[in-house]
Amino acid sequence: MILPTFELHHPTTITELVEIARDLTAQGEAFDYMAGGTDVLPNYKNRLNPRPHVISLARLAGLDEIGVDRIGARALVDDLARSSVLSEHYPGLVEAARSVSSPPLRNLGTIGGNLLLDTRCWYFNQSEFWRESKGYCMKADGDVCLVVPQKEICYATYSGDLAPVLLVLDARVTLVGPDGERTVPLREFYAFDGITRFLKGPAELLTAVDIPSSSRELRTGYRKLRMRDTIEYPVAGVALALHTDGDKVGRLEVAVTGTEAIPLWYGDLDLTGQPATPATAEALQEALVDRVTCYRNVPFPPGYRKAMTGEYARELFSALVG
Amino acid sequence: MKRTIKLRINGSEHELAVPANALLLDVLRNDLHLVGTKRGCDMGTCGCCNIIIDGRAVNSCLVLAFDVEGRDIQTIEGVTASADDDSIHPLQEAWAECGGSQCGFCAAGFIMTVHALLENEPQPNRAGIAEALGGNVCRCTGYKKILDAVELAAGRMAATT
Ligand SMILES: Cc1cc2nc3c(=O)[nH]c(=O)nc-3n(C[C@H](O)[C@H](O)[C@H](O)COP(=O)(O)OP(=O)(O)OC[C@H]3O[C@@H](n4cnc5c(N)ncnc54)[C@H](O)[C@@H]3O)c2cc1C
Ligand code: SF4
Repeated sequence: MILPTFELHHPTTITELVEIARDLTAQGEAFDYMAGGTDVLPNYKNRLNPRPHVISLARLAGLDEIGVDRIGARALVDDLARSSVLSEHYPGLVEAARSVSSPPLRNLGTIGGNLLLDTRCWYFNQSEFWRESKGYCMKADGDVCLVVPQKEICYATYSGDLAPVLLVLDARVTLVGPDGERTVPLREFYAFDGITRFLKGPAELLTAVDIPSSSRELRTGYRKLRMRDTIEYPVAGVALALHTDGDKVGRLEVAVTGTEAIPLWYGDLDLTGQPATPATAEALQEALVDRVTCYRNVPFPPGYRKAMTGEYARELFSALVG
Repeated sequence: MKRTIKLRINGSEHELAVPANALLLDVLRNDLHLVGTKRGCDMGTCGCCNIIIDGRAVNSCLVLAFDVEGRDIQTIEGVTASADDDSIHPLQEAWAECGGSQCGFCAAGFIMTVHALLENEPQPNRAGIAEALGGNVCRCTGYKKILDAVELAAGRMAATT
């Protein structure tokens, strides 16, 4: 499929990149950053919001380190999946990385692109021809939502695998842009709406993901529901992080993906002090199912996906208690 | 507007003019006539277009040609038993012997993926081969004969090195 035409920029340093982004912004020219391109290019092929400029990160030096505290935004998903340091400290992150897309796509896709993945919906991820015949929706070219028409926001489903694990690990993201650098907790980065998705300026570049050392006490795990075991996005995914204090829950963190327009961390789901037993695992299952909402815009019925988040949370809790 | 690009493919340098939005798959097939690499889904979901860049198997339908200037690109045309001639590679031989391809459309993508795997891990077990082939779809063989072919080739290659 021929891509729409765009001007391609290849900065080799962050300073150069920020300058290009500043100039384009000043000229009122829209652009996209592109790392691995495994999300940008399929969307461009389908004519989903292509921009006249693409700033490629392919020739940027660095930003690809993988350490226990810091992961560069350009680190490949496949390198995360094979990292011995991550597998020692954060096995849940490695499990999630190994479940992303397929091996050749993991050789292209980056952690930055994964966190900033566009949302997915039956009415959106379609060809131009399909969308024209059905009628466009407001995420691209139209003005109504075809899933929840009475609402004025988009309910497309966030489908990245790494975000829930990084949410339970309380990761921070570093952003660099024309106004300088800032670090934001991932838990405050996503904001509900399938179109705007996160609190990031269009010119801000994600440079790194930091994991606080306090998260090293946590045992982590990840499970996802998908149509087949490979090449499929999560349509419900659960990440759990647990620290036990004797035979009690010391700290428990829960996050989901593949349910709503953003990945969600359930900070109010507090089971501290509860016994680390199957009964608590069931209480967690019930509490999570109560909180999760799914929409009818990706494979599998919403009720099934919602129920599966509970099942996975219960299974993961028991597995992490060990 | 076209710009000059320099690509290193199967050890040879190629200089040509392509537009900024050119996909590597299109440059290989349409400009350089290296048509062994196939266009399947064009969306990263089938693996028919897999090639090797700097030792890693990737979907060439999702790579911009200008992103891989200066990188080492390998296509099925460069897969031979010896660098000096075009004799067939043990993987291709095993594919033919085991019936690893029927219609043949997916074969180049499978072979490139496995070729990259065997470079890093010469003796993978069957589960490891299946996992590495998690991005390749074949609608004819049912995969068993493909896994047989990889095992046969890996065994022969290990025996001769
Ligand atoms: C068939 C198929 C199956 C897939 N299955 C899965 C799956 O199971 N799970 C999953 O999580 N993903 C899946 N993906 C999506 C994708 O491959 C991965 O999420 C990948 O990690 C995205 O990274 P990328 O570098 O390719 O992103 P890109 O396509 O380069 O970028 C994605 C978005 O992030 C922005 N961006 C990228 N890097 C930066 C940066 N450093 N700073 C600012 N903005 C940036 C881009 O502008 C774009 O909006 C699948 C894709 C395909 C084609
Ligand atoms: S949820 Fe609604 S607005 Fe969003 S992509 Fe789907 S149809 Fe479009």
